[in-house]
Amino acid sequence: MSLRQSIMLLVLLSLVSLCSIGGYAIYQSSSSASQVRTITDQVVPSALASSDLVSLLKDVQLATIYFVDTPKNSDSENNKRVLAERKSQLQLGLEQQFQQANSTTQKAIVNEAKDELEGYFSAIDTSIKFKLDGKDDLAQSNLAANVFVYERELRQVLDTLRTEKNRTKDDAIAILKKNLSHTVGILSAVTLLALLLLASVGILLYQRIVRPISRMQIMMTDIASSQDFSRRLPIDREDEIGRSVVAFNTMIEKIQESSALLKQKSTDIHSMLQNIPQGILTIVPGNIIHPEYSAYLESILETSQIGHHPVMDVVFSGTSLGANVLSQVEAAISACIGEDLMNFEFNEHLLVTEFEKVMPDGRKKVIELNWSPIVNDSACTDRLLLSLRDVTELRMLVAEANEKKHELEIIGEIISLSQEKFYECMKSSMNFLEENRQLIQEHKNHDHNVIAQLFRNMHTLKGNARTYGLAHLANIVHATEQTYDALRKQDSSASWDQATLLGELATVKDTLVHYTTLSEDRLGRKGPGRRGSVDRYLLVDKHQIQETIRRLESVNVSNLHELLEVREAVHRVLRMLGTESLHDVLKDITDSLPSLAQELEKPTPNILIDARGYVVKNQAASVLKNIFVHLIRNALDHGIETPTVRSATGKPVSGTLTITMQPNGQMMELCLADDGQGLALNKIHASAKEKGLLSAQHSHTDREIAQTIFRPGFSTASVVTNVSGRGVGMDAVLNFVKREGGAVDIRFTDNRTGSDYRAFELVVSLPLNHFVNMNTKEFVTHYAHPGPNTHPAGNSGHALKPFWIDEENILA
Amino acid sequence: MAQIIVIDDSSTVRNEVCDFLKANGLTVTSAVDGRDGLDKIRADSALKLAVCDVNMPNMDGLTMAEKVRNDLKNASLHIIMLTTENSPAMKERGKAAGIKGWIVKPFNGSAVISSIKKLVG
Repeated sequence: MSLRQSIMLLVLLSLVSLCSIGGYAIYQSSSSASQVRTITDQVVPSALASSDLVSLLKDVQLATIYFVDTPKNSDSENNKRVLAERKSQLQLGLEQQFQQANSTTQKAIVNEAKDELEGYFSAIDTSIKFKLDGKDDLAQSNLAANVFVYERELRQVLDTLRTEKNRTKDDAIAILKKNLSHTVGILSAVTLLALLLLASVGILLYQRIVRPISRMQIMMTDIASSQDFSRRLPIDREDEIGRSVVAFNTMIEKIQESSALLKQKSTDIHSMLQNIPQGILTIVPGNIIHPEYSAYLESILETSQIGHHPVMDVVFSGTSLGANVLSQVEAAISACIGEDLMNFEFNEHLLVTEFEKVMPDGRKKVIELNWSPIVNDSACTDRLLLSLRDVTELRMLVAEANEKKHELEIIGEIISLSQEKFYECMKSSMNFLEENRQLIQEHKNHDHNVIAQLFRNMHTLKGNARTYGLAHLANIVHATEQTYDALRKQDSSASWDQATLLGELATVKDTLVHYTTLSEDRLGRKGPGRRGSVDRYLLVDKHQIQETIRRLESVNVSNLHELLEVREAVHRVLRMLGTESLHDVLKDITDSLPSLAQELEKPTPNILIDARGYVVKNQAASVLKNIFVHLIRNALDHGIETPTVRSATGKPVSGTLTITMQPNGQMMELCLADDGQGLALNKIHASAKEKGLLSAQHSHTDREIAQTIFRPGFSTASVVTNVSGRGVGMDAVLNFVKREGGAVDIRFTDNRTGSDYRAFELVVSLPLNHFVNMNTKEFVTHYAHPGPNTHPAGNSGHALKPFWIDEENILA
Repeated sequence: MAQIIVIDDSSTVRNEVCDFLKANGLTVTSAVDGRDGLDKIRADSALKLAVCDVNMPNMDGLTMAEKVRNDLKNASLHIIMLTTENSPAMKERGKAAGIKGWIVKPFNGSAVISSIKKLVG
């Protein structure tokens, strides 16, 4: 049963109880009232009237006596009328008694009284008749004999009636009393019963409503105080309370979900603060740092004393900012926190966004700051969020990129010019500078002629620079020319100051030197240059440089990754300047191999070049050509066997030559190996002894024997061929290499010490600065350079053409 | 009848702020100290905003703000303080005097103009 039904039942029961009690009371009271009315209206008046009858009887008796005793004819008519009146009253009273008689006894008594009254009145009438007839005596005697008797008898009957009436009245009152007390008793009992019933229903309801509600309240309080939202109230009923418990449990479930979500979010935020590679903090009123801040902040600021400390001390101490700026920052922070959001707009421009901070060990960090207000519902700034980023490396890269851009622009200017023109321009410029330097040094004071000459020289220099498109140089020269221009004006306030003027010249000279250095080092264009004398692939494509400049200009300087990429691209372009691949260096030689092989009656050998990502600077190209023309020819002539021999030993008919580049310390080793018979140590030993190159008495190690091939005049070939065997090959090679500060060695590649033939490789070592390493990730992924890595012989180097183009094309 | 009163004892700041606000189409009057400012605010009920320096002779800005609220019973006038420092005690006093905002000097017009127009409009 639902609570609503229970309460309705209770109310209904109460209503029914009250109605029944009330109804019964009304019924009883109306019954009692009727009884009372009967008593007061009938019984009591009737009893009183019965008493009155006796006095009425007396009146009649007195009137009769008076009539009889009164002398004849004195007022007899009046007496007669009085008597008749009284008789009538008595008769009427008796008649009323008859009507009011409510029992047979009373009726019988009244009937008896009527009979007596009849006799009485008859006796009176007889006496009256005698009196009227004048027979006073008879009248007197009749009065005494009959009237008195009848009067006495009637009085007795009337007494009896009175007594009977009184008895009836007493009976009625007694019954009424009894009825009333009965009613009271019944009402009390019914009321008590109703009270008991209501009390028990009340207790039942208490048990069903109040107790579970207070139990629920205790548990709710418990859950609220313990914050344990995993708990649930038991659902053991289906009424309104049961449904409330279900609703409460649902609410707790929602709270549990929200709480879990909140916990998750706060964990996320915490984890974010722990892991984000950015310094994040919030500033609370009093310009104090909130204790929750990102872990990375400690590594940026290099301190763990952050939370609860003043932001001005933690973040801004030791910075490049002046005291005035710091005071503005402090006031601005304070003006924003706890105030309307508009204050942030007012003062945001005072919150510095970058500064240099000196770390405890003296290092300087460039720190970028970002400020944002944390606003509450009433548009008031609760806290300031400050994020810090260490942009030291980024700023360095930007500076470096700008420098590189400048350099690339200058290189772009240089390569637009032929080497001869550039050389001439630099040379004449230097001459003008030198002339100006001398002029300035020789004149301690202002001299118009001198100034005119200085101006002319500098103007010519600028004109040349402009003509040749050397914009950077022209700009620098222009500044100096302007100084002279100011000096030559009459009203000029400029004064002749040797030191300043020489300083300006030095700047121009530095620029010229910078141009020259770039031309020589980056482009490998030394000296005046002769058209066609430089190697075919000398320059880098102008578009490549322009593309790199474009990338530099459009680079997002706040993106470290992009900056690194561009830096690498710039490095790559700069490294590529004035270099070529080993494959291209040796191309003339490898191209000539088929005809050489035919001459020696051998198949053209395969050439495998493994450059390991290195390219050769132009300067080293010719020496490499000079070395390898001998080494490759020697290998094909002496190393690779005839096709017959090779077939017999199970080798492929065509031999293979392998050239590998491998840096070793400050040197680059170029190793040449062939799959031929190996070094014929026996023959070499014999030949060396014969030529007196080795002592016949002493034994020699394989290495000592092998080294003799580098001796002047050594040759083991039985036939001096056109190709080699003149005994000058290895000797010449050694000379070329030594001239370049290198060395040549023989390295055995087997363990067969003392054998007639030993596998070996020739190792040519040259200084590493003749080579450039092109091994970078960006190089491979972004430019898809076919790579100077491995070029099997026969695969032409044309794939390199997008980067390496003919000087003819550039100069055209 | 002006919208804004600029109160500063420094004629440089006063003129700079006034000129800027006038250039932005606002009607401006000025006062040389807190007492002068209070008189002018009393006299001109059309004023919507007071831009007021803190440190001034005769009567400082915060005292003037308190008098505007308590003596003149003027609660509708927006008051923005120009200041070089901002201590918690000052903020507390300013809050009690219904100070709407704090502009840390130097005055930077572009940063404040949109908010000022909102307050005046």
